[in-house]
Amino acid sequence: MTLSQRLYRASAWLFPAIAVALALCLSFVMDPYLAFLGASWVIFGILGLSLDIVWGRGGFLSLGQTAFFGLGGYLGAIAAVNLAPVIGNTLLPTLPLAALFGGLCAGVLGALIFLARMGPLQATILSYTFTLLLWSLTQSLKFAVGKAVVGGDNGMSGIPGIVIGFGPHARALPPNGVFAVCVIVAALAYFATLALMRSTFGRVVDCIRLDIQKTELLGYDVRRVQVVNMAWAGAVAGLAGGLFALWSNYLNPSMFSVQEALLPPIHVLVGGLGTLAGPFVGALTIGGLSFWLGGGVAGGQTTLILGIVLVLLVLFLRNGILGAFDQLWRRFLPDPNAAARDAGEVRINVGDLDRIMREAEIQVGPAKTLSTDRVFKQFGGVIPVNNVSRSFAPGRPMALIGPNGAGKSSYLKTCVGVYQPEGGRVMIGDTDVTHAPIFRRVRLGMGVKNQKPQVFGALSVYDNLWTAAFARTRNKAKAADVAGRVLAMLGMTAQAAVEAQALSHGQQQWLDIGMVLCLAPRVVLLDEPAAGMTNEETRELSLLVRTLARHTTVVVVEHDMDFVRTLEGHVTVLHQGEVFTEGDIDSLRADERVLDIYLGRRQHV
Amino acid sequence: MAPDFLATVLLSSLSSAAILLIATIGLAVVFGLMGVINLAHGEFLMIGAYTALTVTQAGVPYVLSIPVAVAVTMAIGALVEVLVISRLYGRIFDTMLATWGISIAFYQLAVLTFGTVSPGIGMPQISVQIGAYSLAVYPLLMNGVALAMLGFVYLLMTRSVYGMKARASIQVPEMARAIGISSARVNTMTFALGCGLAGFAGAVLLPIVPATPSMGFAFVIKAFLTVVVAGPVTLTGSALAALGLGGGASVTASFLTSVAGDAFFFVATALLLWRYPLGISARWRRKL
Repeated sequence: MTLSQRLYRASAWLFPAIAVALALCLSFVMDPYLAFLGASWVIFGILGLSLDIVWGRGGFLSLGQTAFFGLGGYLGAIAAVNLAPVIGNTLLPTLPLAALFGGLCAGVLGALIFLARMGPLQATILSYTFTLLLWSLTQSLKFAVGKAVVGGDNGMSGIPGIVIGFGPHARALPPNGVFAVCVIVAALAYFATLALMRSTFGRVVDCIRLDIQKTELLGYDVRRVQVVNMAWAGAVAGLAGGLFALWSNYLNPSMFSVQEALLPPIHVLVGGLGTLAGPFVGALTIGGLSFWLGGGVAGGQTTLILGIVLVLLVLFLRNGILGAFDQLWRRFLPDPNAAARDAGEVRINVGDLDRIMREAEIQVGPAKTLSTDRVFKQFGGVIPVNNVSRSFAPGRPMALIGPNGAGKSSYLKTCVGVYQPEGGRVMIGDTDVTHAPIFRRVRLGMGVKNQKPQVFGALSVYDNLWTAAFARTRNKAKAADVAGRVLAMLGMTAQAAVEAQALSHGQQQWLDIGMVLCLAPRVVLLDEPAAGMTNEETRELSLLVRTLARHTTVVVVEHDMDFVRTLEGHVTVLHQGEVFTEGDIDSLRADERVLDIYLGRRQHV
Repeated sequence: MAPDFLATVLLSSLSSAAILLIATIGLAVVFGLMGVINLAHGEFLMIGAYTALTVTQAGVPYVLSIPVAVAVTMAIGALVEVLVISRLYGRIFDTMLATWGISIAFYQLAVLTFGTVSPGIGMPQISVQIGAYSLAVYPLLMNGVALAMLGFVYLLMTRSVYGMKARASIQVPEMARAIGISSARVNTMTFALGCGLAGFAGAVLLPIVPATPSMGFAFVIKAFLTVVVAGPVTLTGSALAALGLGGGASVTASFLTSVAGDAFFFVATALLLWRYPLGISARWRRKL
């Protein structure tokens, strides 16, 4: 590995560490006024980091980060005013409380948004109105807690500065000291977040952003991860708020204003979305620019300029400063996706697959049946699934066929849990899962491959498989073992480091199937797996399905009759939402009624 | 409880719902036909109000100032669509951020141009007597205005060529393009229409809501919530949501305090979104 590659891999912690060390050295020699301003830029960097966590990583544009910032600031200030005369130190009571309160509020709002599975627009608007509501509420909210007086639009004054000593004689730090403290707090927040985002939790957060449905189909409880991520971001915002209160010694409702709420998205976009370090670069750039331009000239127009800057950023600078730098650097690094080009045809190693499935059976138990009992689904006047009772057992592939609009996919989606049926029951083994969320069905042994390949494009092939294996094993070493063997079984070892998005369509299909196998599923549902595959690939797929069916229950929804024929399994024909007939493919081919519905002839149409 | 009091509360609550609906329709049209939430909607309302105010102060009768406000906001809306929105199709969050930036820029421009406080125009001092209470007629008139706006948009969408094209473009965009509908031009028209409706709202509400630079922020909170609660079937959904949320909040405010009314609005919104995470109309079969 070259030096450049090493540096690139270490860049997320190395360069921030250097920046922190530099800033701390500078804090000794800096002009006090610049230190005073610089501290506020660092605080806004922390606030931007909180937005980057939910938006850049979590994929949810929250316009409520300044609300958590303000809430944390107010509570932290109340604590500081009351406790400072007693213990002297202001950091210890203020920052943890501010972070806790911000995290709590964000967690509650996040729970409301994510547990209800709100649409993205609904969620963003709700977070925005939450901020605006606080803005108008705090204008008239007047109360006192001990010595702290929250005075509506008069704000809250007399907040002590940053005191790190203890006892009644401890004094507030001078601007240079405040700057150093802000840098240290920012470093703690950044490195803690970096560690979190590099953990398995962060991996799941990334997967949710890339493809939330697939993440749930791997058995992860996405809603809980989203709520926790939002709470973490809220805690970071609250921390920034507490620090801000001590820095400015004064708070007022403008913390919740639209002008304030505008800053985090601008800082994140300037620095680079999803980079975590970007918001600091952004806050420093914007803050430094306005300092350099001079507050006097643009004083009244600041808001106007910020508004226009946001529009221009969205239009022209998508990746931000760090994003652009990243792209430039990657051009000089060897292309990790080069191996995708010399990938040959996929050849399934049946021996490997047999072994994997036998071990899976030892680990997670025998295959389960999938059965539905008079399951019924209606959309307005259309009834795509009309009292279908079916039981699928292991042994040989079970195919579902039928002409377009027969209700095959709707039936499958009802089994998977994408649709909630109006009547009837869905069972996996002996467990009733009719109203269970998708991830719970997956944990009971369901594995699903949808028609389109669903892979996490920005992750490597190996990481895709590992993430799937980890969802089941919850153990890093075991997950690595499973992922490695599925990789070998697919014959894609040479492409392990390739980003999934660089693979061809067919290879992505195989990777998707590989991810399903990593789950050691006891019931496998495949929705038109042969769609878009070449003849050779279809042959391999047929081999895979037949091998799989010896070990687990396999249900295949398919259009391609030749493919269904090669499966040599049991076939169920659906027509107008109901079971029409069943049997093996040759008897059905001879059945005039089946030909009728496929060709649209006579009375069965 | 006295029947005259009850009648007064009901009538004024109905007017509040109508006022909310008037302020929301433009937003709902843009959301329904472009899938975009225009965060600058409130500022278009504000521009409409200021235009009407300026024209009225110049001596033109108030009624004639309304079409001027509509024309001005439509023109600005079309310009914004061509310059900004059209470059961001398919990127809903970016569109939101961009319109947000526009919103804040317009707000500041208004502050710089008009100052933070400006004189309102007097509301026509006509009122009706219900028992012991008297009600101003102008807010009651808003019920008719809201109905007329709904009717206008409905007819425009169902009877005009533009309406057909706009509905086709949002339902099956590829097919609409394949049969030769220029979706870019339809979208410009839709956005301008939405902004024009906002300008109309600002102008027609001017006697009730005086023009201030920040009036947009105050108004849009409820309008946004109404639209997201309404969901994809924007016209019928918004009418229902405005009636339920705005009317309910106003009734609550009459019996308790105005803060209780606001609290009702937000709690009801949160509960509705909890129950219908994609809006109340997400599973309706009608499309308008």
